[in-house]
Amino acid sequence: MGQTISEKILSRATGRPVKAGEIIYPKPDLVTCHDWYVVNFDKALQEFGVTKLFDPSRVLISTDHEPVAVAPASSERQKRVREIVAKYGITQFYDVGRGGLGHIFPIEMGFIRPGMFVEAYDTHVTNYGAVGCLGIAFVVEVSEIMALGSVWMKVPETVRVNLHGKLQPGTSMRDVAQKLIADLGDELIDYSVVEFGGPGMIDIDISGRHTLCNTPLEIGAKSALVEPDEATLAYLKPRTKEPLELIKSDANAVFRKVIDYDLNKIGPQVAVPPTPDNVHPIDKALGTPIQHAFIGSCASGNFKDLADAAAILKDRRIHPDVRLYVTPATQEVALEATRAGLMEIFLAAGATLTQAGCGPCAGGRIGAMAEGETSINTGTRNDPRRLGASGDVYLASPLTVAASAIAGKITDPRSMLAKE
Amino acid sequence: MNWVYRGRCWRFGDNLAIDGEIMPLRFALSRETDPNVLRDFLMSEIDPDFPKKVKPGDIIVAGRRFGQGNPHIQGFLGIRGHGLGLVAESIPRGSFRNAINAGLPFLAPCAGVTAACETGDELEVNFETGLFRNLTRGQDHQYQPIEPELREIVAVGGWANHVRKRLAQTTTA
Repeated sequence: MGQTISEKILSRATGRPVKAGEIIYPKPDLVTCHDWYVVNFDKALQEFGVTKLFDPSRVLISTDHEPVAVAPASSERQKRVREIVAKYGITQFYDVGRGGLGHIFPIEMGFIRPGMFVEAYDTHVTNYGAVGCLGIAFVVEVSEIMALGSVWMKVPETVRVNLHGKLQPGTSMRDVAQKLIADLGDELIDYSVVEFGGPGMIDIDISGRHTLCNTPLEIGAKSALVEPDEATLAYLKPRTKEPLELIKSDANAVFRKVIDYDLNKIGPQVAVPPTPDNVHPIDKALGTPIQHAFIGSCASGNFKDLADAAAILKDRRIHPDVRLYVTPATQEVALEATRAGLMEIFLAAGATLTQAGCGPCAGGRIGAMAEGETSINTGTRNDPRRLGASGDVYLASPLTVAASAIAGKITDPRSMLAKE
Repeated sequence: MNWVYRGRCWRFGDNLAIDGEIMPLRFALSRETDPNVLRDFLMSEIDPDFPKKVKPGDIIVAGRRFGQGNPHIQGFLGIRGHGLGLVAESIPRGSFRNAINAGLPFLAPCAGVTAACETGDELEVNFETGLFRNLTRGQDHQYQPIEPELREIVAVGGWANHVRKRLAQTTTA
């Protein structure tokens, strides 16, 4: 019987052929953890009497949830993280100003390749699927992985999504990714890997693929990945000397379901509070006044996302009642955006730029909302208090967030692109 | 470990939230993990007297998506604190891991189980074989037990004990 991409990856990581439904202890090629959990996993290891990691050279730590320490306690925690990294001899440590958001820069730096298997603390490691790597989060059980080099998992079934058609003007992959999880539904997606492919993929760049792989876990997917193709190779070749393999599901692989999805039909969408899959056409929320806006996060903080926002913000000013935060996901995105003149556009529009990383989406430690305010942003989730206070949070594309920040109310970006 | 539980059925519907309905959210936020503390608050936001009414060996029977929401382990530790078993039509992924890691004997997914019993029925459930017996109705149902590899984690009392066991095996190997 044939295998899906995920079954192939997990077979290699387990050292024998595996199929959906089996309980296995696969060995990851890399384990990632962010700044906010390092002290906790160290504490857990101490309680277990563990003094050495399974393989410190296969552990990557990133300072992204709170890159700029904003309180004495944060500075102390950053110091502890540096001490812990040194204690265990972790070589892949990307501190503030070095990498940026840990779900994105390892792809830019060529560390993540098709067919790899990565385990992590943080849920959005599924972004690694953008280049055909299987990334799975185990949250607090990352301590077990750090100590023993594996943890149990059930080999997931795969839902295959074939994309067709092209994005329409005024829409971005964020609109597609949000609408898609609402259309698929949690019942179908629970405990599956969502595998993307199909003829529509040819026009979707790596940035858009990050976004596609970011959203399915919000409704219970174990992970998501894109079938690697020529675009994947073109992106990775300048970034790595390692061999690159175009791993594909076998023709006779067994999928939970195969779905065809048409990009042509999708207009601007908005996820209405309080869940990321409560997705509606933008008409549902048009005119809602906003005070807080944010462009960034692992869902939508790549160069293309910033460029989309800049296209709307160019030669315009943000509404006087609104503050707009722009957070490039990584140091490389920030540099590229600076060179391309995007930062100038943001600053001239009255936006606030923050250090590369998660930005306000990481619990609102940076640029939070206040009680009773309304935010529209490109973060990953819209639960109450996701951005610090208990106001309404709407999720939308960078185009829609930029247009809304200018108008001071939720606005269809197509009304501002019309002059082209 | 005893895998056979015999006691009263406590039946609940679909979509019970792990935070709030099964266990007050404040215990997740304070990272309380002592089953003996948590047991006194189990289901208390649905029925404040629930923790006083249940006895060891009783069985919670729930509908679809038991433990939905942000996967916190406290609710499952509270169930274990009473010595209760759990049979659910389905449990979402994060909560399924937590049920294993809490060392809780349970069966899921069990399609249609909420129709096979009601609160107050005398039940006998074998969590090793998946045999669900409603002694009041005189009806038996067979479900898939959780995998042997996962029963091993439950049998040693949950995640931390299992990690210790694996560590001990590594050092002796």
